Amino acid sequence: MPVWMLCLPVLFPILAGAVMLARPIEDRKKRQIYVAGAVIVNAVLALTVLIWTPDGVLTLLRFSDTMQIALQIDGAGRVFGILVSLLWPLTTFYSFEYMKHEGRENKFFGFFTMTFGVIEGVAFADNFLTLYLFYELLTLATLPLVMHSMDGRARYAGKKYLIYSLSGAAFAFIAMIFLLTYGSTLDFTFGGVLDPSRASGHETLLQTVFVLGFFGFGVKAAIFPFHGWLPDASVAPTPVSALLHAVAVVKAGVFAVIRLTYYGFGCDFLRGSWAQTVVMTAAVVTIVYGSAMALRTPHLKRRLAYSTVSNLSYILFSVTLMTPAGLVGGLSHMVFHAVIKITLFFCAGAIIYKTHREYVYQLDDFGRAMPVTMAAFTIASLGLMGIPPLAGFVSKWGIATAAVETGMPLAYAGVAALIVSALLTALYLMAVVLRAYFPAKGFDPASVKEVEDPNRLMTVPLLVLSAASVLLGLCASPLIAVFEQIAAGLL
Amino acid sequence: MPFVYNFPFFSIFICMISGIVTPLLKNGRWAYRLSLFASGAGVLLSGVLLGRIGPANESFSFMMGHFPAPWGNELSVGPLEAVLATAVCLVMMMALLGGSRDIFEDVLPEKQKLYFIMMDEILAALLALTYTNDIFTAYVFIEISTIAACAIVMAKDASATLVATMRYLIMSLLGSGLVLIGIVLLYCITGHLLFPSLQQWVLELVATGQYTIPLTVVVGLIVLGLGIKSAMFPFHLWLPPAHGSATTASSSVLSGLVVKGYIILMIRLFYKVFTIEVIRELRVTNMIFLFGLAGMIIGSIGAMKEGHIKRMLAYSSVAQLGYVFMGIGLGTDIGIMAACFQILVHACTKPMLFSCASALSAGRHHNKKLHALRGAAYENKLAGIGFTVGALSMIGIPLFAGFAAKVFFASATMAQPVKMWMTLLTLALSTVLNALYYIPAVTVLWSRPAEGETGEKQPVHPAFAVSTVVFIAAVFFLGICYEPVVTLIQNGLALL
Amino acid sequence: MFKSIVLLLPILLPLIGGLVVFRMRDAKARRIAVSACVLCTLVSAVGVSFLPDLSLRIWDLGGSIAIYLRLDAMGRFFLCLVSGIWTLVAFFAYEYMQHEGREERFFGFYTMTLGILMGLGLAGNLLTLYMFYEMMTLITVPLVIHNGSREAVAAGFKYLGYSTFGAGLALIGFFFLNRYCSTTEFSAGGTLDFSLAAGNENLLFAVWLLMMIGFGCKAGMMPLQSWLPTAHPVAPAPASAVLSGIITKAGVLAIIRVTFYLFGADFLRGSWAQTTLLCLALATVFAGSMLAYKEKVFKKRLAYSTVSQVSYVLFGLFLLNSVGFTGALLQVVFHALVKNLLFLAAGAVIYKTGKTDVRELVGIGKQMPIVIWCFAFGALSLIGIPPTAGFVSKWYLAQGGIADYGILGIVGAAILLVSALLTAGYLLPVVTRGFFPGRDFDYANLEKKEPSGYMTVPLVILAALAVLLGIFPGGLIEWISGISAVLF
Repeated sequence: MPVWMLCLPVLFPILAGAVMLARPIEDRKKRQIYVAGAVIVNAVLALTVLIWTPDGVLTLLRFSDTMQIALQIDGAGRVFGILVSLLWPLTTFYSFEYMKHEGRENKFFGFFTMTFGVIEGVAFADNFLTLYLFYELLTLATLPLVMHSMDGRARYAGKKYLIYSLSGAAFAFIAMIFLLTYGSTLDFTFGGVLDPSRASGHETLLQTVFVLGFFGFGVKAAIFPFHGWLPDASVAPTPVSALLHAVAVVKAGVFAVIRLTYYGFGCDFLRGSWAQTVVMTAAVVTIVYGSAMALRTPHLKRRLAYSTVSNLSYILFSVTLMTPAGLVGGLSHMVFHAVIKITLFFCAGAIIYKTHREYVYQLDDFGRAMPVTMAAFTIASLGLMGIPPLAGFVSKWGIATAAVETGMPLAYAGVAALIVSALLTALYLMAVVLRAYFPAKGFDPASVKEVEDPNRLMTVPLLVLSAASVLLGLCASPLIAVFEQIAAGLL
Repeated sequence: MPFVYNFPFFSIFICMISGIVTPLLKNGRWAYRLSLFASGAGVLLSGVLLGRIGPANESFSFMMGHFPAPWGNELSVGPLEAVLATAVCLVMMMALLGGSRDIFEDVLPEKQKLYFIMMDEILAALLALTYTNDIFTAYVFIEISTIAACAIVMAKDASATLVATMRYLIMSLLGSGLVLIGIVLLYCITGHLLFPSLQQWVLELVATGQYTIPLTVVVGLIVLGLGIKSAMFPFHLWLPPAHGSATTASSSVLSGLVVKGYIILMIRLFYKVFTIEVIRELRVTNMIFLFGLAGMIIGSIGAMKEGHIKRMLAYSSVAQLGYVFMGIGLGTDIGIMAACFQILVHACTKPMLFSCASALSAGRHHNKKLHALRGAAYENKLAGIGFTVGALSMIGIPLFAGFAAKVFFASATMAQPVKMWMTLLTLALSTVLNALYYIPAVTVLWSRPAEGETGEKQPVHPAFAVSTVVFIAAVFFLGICYEPVVTLIQNGLALL
Repeated sequence: MFKSIVLLLPILLPLIGGLVVFRMRDAKARRIAVSACVLCTLVSAVGVSFLPDLSLRIWDLGGSIAIYLRLDAMGRFFLCLVSGIWTLVAFFAYEYMQHEGREERFFGFYTMTLGILMGLGLAGNLLTLYMFYEMMTLITVPLVIHNGSREAVAAGFKYLGYSTFGAGLALIGFFFLNRYCSTTEFSAGGTLDFSLAAGNENLLFAVWLLMMIGFGCKAGMMPLQSWLPTAHPVAPAPASAVLSGIITKAGVLAIIRVTFYLFGADFLRGSWAQTTLLCLALATVFAGSMLAYKEKVFKKRLAYSTVSQVSYVLFGLFLLNSVGFTGALLQVVFHALVKNLLFLAAGAVIYKTGKTDVRELVGIGKQMPIVIWCFAFGALSLIGIPPTAGFVSKWYLAQGGIADYGILGIVGAAILLVSALLTAGYLLPVVTRGFFPGRDFDYANLEKKEPSGYMTVPLVILAALAVLLGIFPGGLIEWISGISAVLF
């Protein structure tokens, strides 16, 4: 397969989206066919390229010897790329139905399609400059999606998102410059790119810069205390929350942190340093903080947003262990959480779409009124809580055993944090499930008379995703084996 | 002597002749065309020159009228000067094109010819400041450019403009005065006016330890003077009002070119007269560095508070100039290279932003308040795209010119631990602040307006279209293919 | 391999049956279905117990974890006990649930819980045990919430929270065991890898302590016991009965598996963790009895009693010697029988008279003689008066304590004695005032309120067993020594 095909999954959707924005398609049906076509074609392209990977690097633009925009697929990029490519088409169909009652669909779908290309760019990036470029473009491309409804809250959320993201990127920029100066190359190399001759004597400086870079990229991964944009961004239409803030944008942040740690500074350089302590502490704190805040929030989408904050730090915690096992745990949770969280958001979206109810205490007896939706919600909840044999348990297991293996007291604290978070997760998710299936006495059945499941465009993705979360858990072995190979630097 | 060597003189001469000939022309339109011709000729001549001496890495000095020093006048030309000259002429030409419609609307018909004379003079002055090898000539052209700049700011008849121009004039003349005193002192100490001779004497003075205090005072006065004129913090307060009410081409030329001329002169003085090592020893660079950092932040904060789009862009200029001063303040070759690159970048971006802003407001009764421009981009898509490109470049998104400049600034500080952290953190903060006012502006422009707020679709003005397209191309060129440009600048600095 | 599939039978039968029961609105059909499920499960459990030690690897989850079933002596013991009692309570519940409503929901979950418990007993490694443990919590929450009142929902949440937290603590231990044990499959005597464990003893003791507290939550041990007294009064009586009688034993089973089949008693004996746990268990015994004595709400009194009595079991286990172990398992059987009996009796009282406070139960013996007679026998057994069952187990426990433990053992025995006195204090008044209400009682308006056969027959069977096993404990003791022989 020729190398130039690497640019297709990245550029094609950007162009398709841009064309849509320049010449808007007024007819809904035509627009849906156009968007569905573009997304499915691109998903196929991407999966083809990801599975039958062409050898070598595709350099799109060459600025200088050390700085170029180039694409290449390695193991980690493949995992992220496949995850995104599989989830995007499902979300597209879900959005067709959902956006019917939001309006301004042309603008939405234009940027939605463009974002698909940008995310593939993040996955396919061969070096830090390319990653940084697509990272910034990601912020810009998703901003209109967050601000979609253009009311006061949406604008505020968009502004907050922008400020946080750009600030984070600005600090990540500093890290990139240091890698440029002290590293032998900006290309992602497993084990790190730092040039020992240049770096020796400057360890503290480089570790400080790593911490800056971690928090910089970590903004998109909602690390405390820079997580504030994510709950506010839940005012966006649910497909945006689901895909972007459960899967694409936040996982891009995590992915960038993985690149920074394992493929940039290198975990041998960082292991045991104070920098590792700082970033691990931040991750551990976020794990508990996110879950605690989720429990306190009665607004369903915000609750799920805080849950995302917490779960992303599971991944970050695993990554900060800086061992191959830690990377395996992080990659597995990245995949499993994406599937589970997107399911939960889709359920929340279905509820909002059908009933306009946004708060947990309004969901009495929904188990009977919206059986498919609540069944999917329950399965996903059990997965997130970590009940074996569902997917969530396998990834938590991977993370915790990796933590125990390191023997670090801080890692043990992290394990404790995971358990506390599991408890809180059980409470804040089961609150919904129990209310839905066991409405309290004094509940008025008339309030759910009109409530019913949405149509197939929404329920089919829901069911597919629930099934996926169960299957992923059962069939985790081959996936874990692939992750282990990546963590050994072989893929 | 190769014929190409005459080109610098020719380009200055053509501008001056155009200025002289203009009063004889029929009307403003013809004056405009002549000015375009002059700047176009400048582009061509400088471009050819660049093509000759750039790859060959030559530099030469040109004796005017074949009279040697100290009676005759000299020009000194190297790759750096050639690049800057080409860019200046190009930007002037495009600024005129982009703002042409507004000139003919804003300036009274009887004053239009005068306006273009002033433009020609500014171009001549800028070229002269770039090429000159003689400090007194430099002063002469500083004065010429000051007065011409005031004239073009004042060209649009409005009371606010007059007040702003007065302020500009006073500040500018103060700056010139300080420079003059510095030059006089320098002449007293060294007895020479030509750069090479001056450098010889300065080095000797430094080596023998004589006149150290006067030398320091000279440097301080010159830097201060030029700094006031180039809107260095804290002397930037004249810039925003001057822009706010001036006509588009004037704003573009003022912040895109005029202030740059003084900075270019300052850099050339640093290298050719005082030598960069002496400057560093005198700790002048540290002061410039701090002022640069402050300018970056204060400029952006000021821009955030503005609801008037041109004033916002003006404060943005203060911030972007801060980058340049920061680069100079680093005191190393790489730092000054980054500063020169930023000069080019800003020169290509800010005029475009001004002309697009003006074009966008044309359909809204020239109301330049941001909240009145909601959805204006849909009426003039090219202007909207131009503004967006400029904004993204200002913020520093990769692939745009501004990002390359940021990378150079960041890399340049790597060798200096103390300044490094200050630079990096301020760069980060500045990026965020820039985003905080540019993105809302872009968002407003592209949001669908409410009913009743729309203006009419604007016809595409050919001159404006050409200007915007060329600028967009320049932004991307500097963002992507910057390597040759950077090499030229580096070689040029080495030869200075 | 194919023979091992039969291990799935006791698990899947009630699970699938339970799912079917949810749909059945007709009471008669439902009773037949539930009875069928439960009886078949009993039969299959007993049948499986006669098979040799089989194992079945169901699914590999990646890494080193798999879902794995194995039949061994401990498992047989648990399966038979649970399925037997489950059947008896089911019959009681047919009658009782008529006044609670939404029976199909209750019986569906009730039946499914049986399957999960069977799975728990058959779990061959820690992952499978943990999986069924979590599922058990989730499936029993609806039983607690059943009547839908505000208190019930709150109690259900508290139960969920405590149980999940407890399971979470145990999970932490699981992560460590994964590293320090050669395998997490249960093996009598323990599977610790001593080369790894050397030098990390204190860490492992701390881990064990954590796991015991975590699993002990289900068994009502301090400090995580307070969900028990909250959940029992609000749950329907059959649910309270199995919660106290059986579900707590699931926690006990988990404790046994971890202590004896993973860590190994020899490693743990004499450690500070053991001393801590013994103290916790004894403290719970005492505190539980004290609180039961002071409590006036009938079911809550019995709940506190459970807290106390199950910690007898834990005390015996934590002694880490075979006498104590025997006493513990005896107490498991007896307490299961007796506590179910007591709760069912309480349930009968509530069902027929609506009275929930002990002070109202004056003269109840005159109204419901069979029920209160059964209650009386249960009370005697719980107190530990020979020849009822409770005496035998307490005797072994006291012996096990004194034999090995010097001061702690003697204190332990003393506390057992004090607790027995308190037990008498909180159970006997119900009986005495029930049968001898005193002069002020309104004899004239007395009416017999004996419940139907569905309710009285299970009560009588349980009471009879309590007495018979006390008189003829031999067979039971022999069965238990078969289990303990391999562990010590």
